[in-house]
Amino acid sequence: MILQIAWKNIWRNKKRSLIIITATALGLWGGVFSNAVMIGMWESTIDAAINRELSHIQVHHPKFKDEKLLKDYIPNSDLIFSLIKNENDVKSVSRRVIIEGMILSPTSTSGVEIVGINPIIEKNVTEIHNRILEGSYFKDRRNNSILIGERLAKRLKVKLNSKVVLSFQGLEESLVSAAFRIVGIFKTESTVFDETNVFVLQDDILQLIGNSSVFHEIAIRARSIEKIDTVKSYLSIKFSNLSVESWRELAPEFGLTQDMLYLELNIFIGIILFALLFGITNTIMMSVFERARELGVLLAIGMKRIRLFIMIVIESILLSFTGGAIGTLLAFLTIQIFSFYGLNFSAFTEGFSMYGVPAIFYPELPLHMYIFLGIMITFTAIAAAFYPALKAIKLNPAAAIRTY
Amino acid sequence: MSLIEIQGLNKIYDETTVSVHALKRIDLIINKGEFTAIVGPSGSGKTTLLNMIGGLDKPTSGKVLINEKEISTFKPDELIDFRLKNIGFVFQAFNLIPVLTAKENIEFIMLLQKVSKEEREKRAFELLNAVGLSDKINNRPSELSGGQQQRVAVARALASKPSFVLADEPTANLDSETAESLLDLMEKLNHEYQMTFVFSTHDAKVIKRARRVVTLEDGKIKSDIYQNEKSRINS
Repeated sequence: MILQIAWKNIWRNKKRSLIIITATALGLWGGVFSNAVMIGMWESTIDAAINRELSHIQVHHPKFKDEKLLKDYIPNSDLIFSLIKNENDVKSVSRRVIIEGMILSPTSTSGVEIVGINPIIEKNVTEIHNRILEGSYFKDRRNNSILIGERLAKRLKVKLNSKVVLSFQGLEESLVSAAFRIVGIFKTESTVFDETNVFVLQDDILQLIGNSSVFHEIAIRARSIEKIDTVKSYLSIKFSNLSVESWRELAPEFGLTQDMLYLELNIFIGIILFALLFGITNTIMMSVFERARELGVLLAIGMKRIRLFIMIVIESILLSFTGGAIGTLLAFLTIQIFSFYGLNFSAFTEGFSMYGVPAIFYPELPLHMYIFLGIMITFTAIAAAFYPALKAIKLNPAAAIRTY
Repeated sequence: MSLIEIQGLNKIYDETTVSVHALKRIDLIINKGEFTAIVGPSGSGKTTLLNMIGGLDKPTSGKVLINEKEISTFKPDELIDFRLKNIGFVFQAFNLIPVLTAKENIEFIMLLQKVSKEEREKRAFELLNAVGLSDKINNRPSELSGGQQQRVAVARALASKPSFVLADEPTANLDSETAESLLDLMEKLNHEYQMTFVFSTHDAKVIKRARRVVTLEDGKIKSDIYQNEKSRINS
């Protein structure tokens, strides 16, 4: 019955309650949806990086990442590659040759990372084949074909079918150079990636190196996101002489920013709720003052102070939850709509691509954020009711009853 | 057998500029089953005395014993619990919970006593029937007349099965006919259930219905008279 009374009490002054409910609903609608946009944007950025280059897990020679030297390749990569491929939780694997080198056009030069891939196998791990703007993804398999990024092509002033020269230091520390024909120009979400990476056929580059077993990177896709850590720890134990890293370790800035983002978004919601707290406190406070006589009567006829306190807290919780539920529901529906159609920021592609952010992304809010929001609203409601409830239980029943 | 015993009761309200001696060395015994009116002009201390008996306020000195328990030494929560179990209150302004129906208002006090739902409903129906409002069970206070609201308040006061009922000017907001009707009800409950009533009033018509009249003046008992049936009728 206390719940029933509390619910009826908040509707005594409909206008006042509706104002605070509307304020709560609008505040949370805006706050929650903008959080979902930020999370969606960031998750899309991470997904893009995973699909573009990172994959879920990478295996390297332990020294490779220090200077990316050609000689620091994975020993027995054939055996390791086939062992990893046969793991249950592994969906797909690709081997890459990675060389730091130079690309030269008739007009310009640039430092690049030359990535030697098997196009068919690589398709299962990254999505560079879906980012071809002009030409094809090694369609004809002609010798010395190369894929370069749109940004790099502009910088080198080259086009499709133009010739470029790749130059790098070989295993014997001699300079290796070869001409390649541009068969495809790609464009990803990241201009930095497009400017610094070129893709060539694995066989071509291995031939230039003069050693068919020089593989620097094994990129792995787990069957699901949840399996990444399991696969990573398993491989770390199995190949203890190699460096096995998940995408979070490969691109620590992503993981760190993701953690920071969630913290910031929670603080953002906290600030909204903190502002609402004063409004809710004011509403409950006025309601307590207006009902001083009635609260005095309740104390007089035998309602324990703790019950009175709880009743006022419940009123605050119901008031906050009504606004919170409406706001969260509106945010949920908005998120669902935009997570289906996506938010298109094509007009800002240039700016976004500097940071590897896709122009279209899909707002999302994980379940734990909804749960956290529920907890935050409850705390806000209790905090808002605390002072008015304290005032109520301190009423002198004899004096309060004579209040008119 | 004494139900309420007041010994040397003093109450001084200490205001910042002036202190008010509201009750001065009051000694009073009220026995079970009595129908007592506390009378006197405004400011004579009637409400203060009722507040002391009801444990709504603390005496400055002296003792208030209910069923031989000194309630003036109780802690606030003990007093609340004591009131819930022992005292029924009827207020001048009815003071029903506006968002609850007549039946729910009566049930509420039993809910505080943790009475089962079945028992609560049964007793609420009985009490509404006893106060002649069995057809108003689902009406909210705003849908009832003043007299009907006060009847619900009496039913609420009796719902907790108290040792006695304290009524502070219960007829002050009622017209004379409704006031008579309410007094009939209180007398009936007093006769039939031996329920002790202590009520304050300054209405002469109400005073003549009381079997005992305690008159206060300037915080002191001026007279304490038991009226027999004859004197009540002749007065």
